[in-house]
Amino acid sequence: MSAIAYTLVVFILLAALATALFRDVLSAIVVFGAYSLGMAILYTFLLAPDVAMTEAAIGAGVTTILLLLTIARTSRPPTDRLFERIHLPAVVAVGAFVLVLFTLLGDMYAVGDSDAPVWGWEALETTPSVYYVQETFADTGAQNAVSAVLASYRGFDTFGEAVVVFAAGVAVLLVLKREVFT
Amino acid sequence: MIPAGVSIEEIFLLAAALFVVLAIVMFYRAVAGPTTQDRLLAVNVLGTNTVVILALLAAGLDEPWFLDIALIYALLNFLMAVAISKFTVERGGVL
Repeated sequence: MSAIAYTLVVFILLAALATALFRDVLSAIVVFGAYSLGMAILYTFLLAPDVAMTEAAIGAGVTTILLLLTIARTSRPPTDRLFERIHLPAVVAVGAFVLVLFTLLGDMYAVGDSDAPVWGWEALETTPSVYYVQETFADTGAQNAVSAVLASYRGFDTFGEAVVVFAAGVAVLLVLKREVFT
Repeated sequence: MIPAGVSIEEIFLLAAALFVVLAIVMFYRAVAGPTTQDRLLAVNVLGTNTVVILALLAAGLDEPWFLDIALIYALLNFLMAVAISKFTVERGGVL
């Protein structure tokens, strides 16, 4: 089972590398579609259906069209080389950053680990998950614990997300409108 | 037909694994090209391949909701081909 996931990761890495290295922007956009396909299967495999559906809808449809709109309004330099020349200092900087991230990998809890902090520390009287289930109604008056976490406990975070989505929507509308009327 | 000790779910998972390996083979065409149209067709085949993998995983892992995501891909797979075809024929026209 995990063999499928590892093969998928190899595929995704290849697609990401090709997307980054292609000299021709149109080819990079096409190959980015392949990357999104691999990611959607991986999300599904890791039992995250909502993320997989978003990736399916956005990766297969919206991203391609938005990127195409972008290169339609800008110039696409003709090239004879297939791949971009690799910029060594950038590779060193990104590689160092990835190495730092890898050192953190050892401290991550496995999926479903009963020692993970979500299930409570020794110092706490109750675990966070039990707290939300028991005290949500008294704290917020909301009957649905998930809605209460989204809209009340982390309400400012959700508000920020809504602002970002609204701004993105306005930008997309602007770009599309200009495209239609020219 | 099925050998003893092997369940049908394991066969589905094995088939899914084979299709994932095939995805890497298909990706060769997406990189090698040589034209953008070749790459576009390669990614289109990869999209169909994704639908097959998701359906096989749904059967193999007994998670029927995988099929919803497969359906979304089956519905949206043609979008990129249409958009890039329009872009190539009438440069600047995407939608």
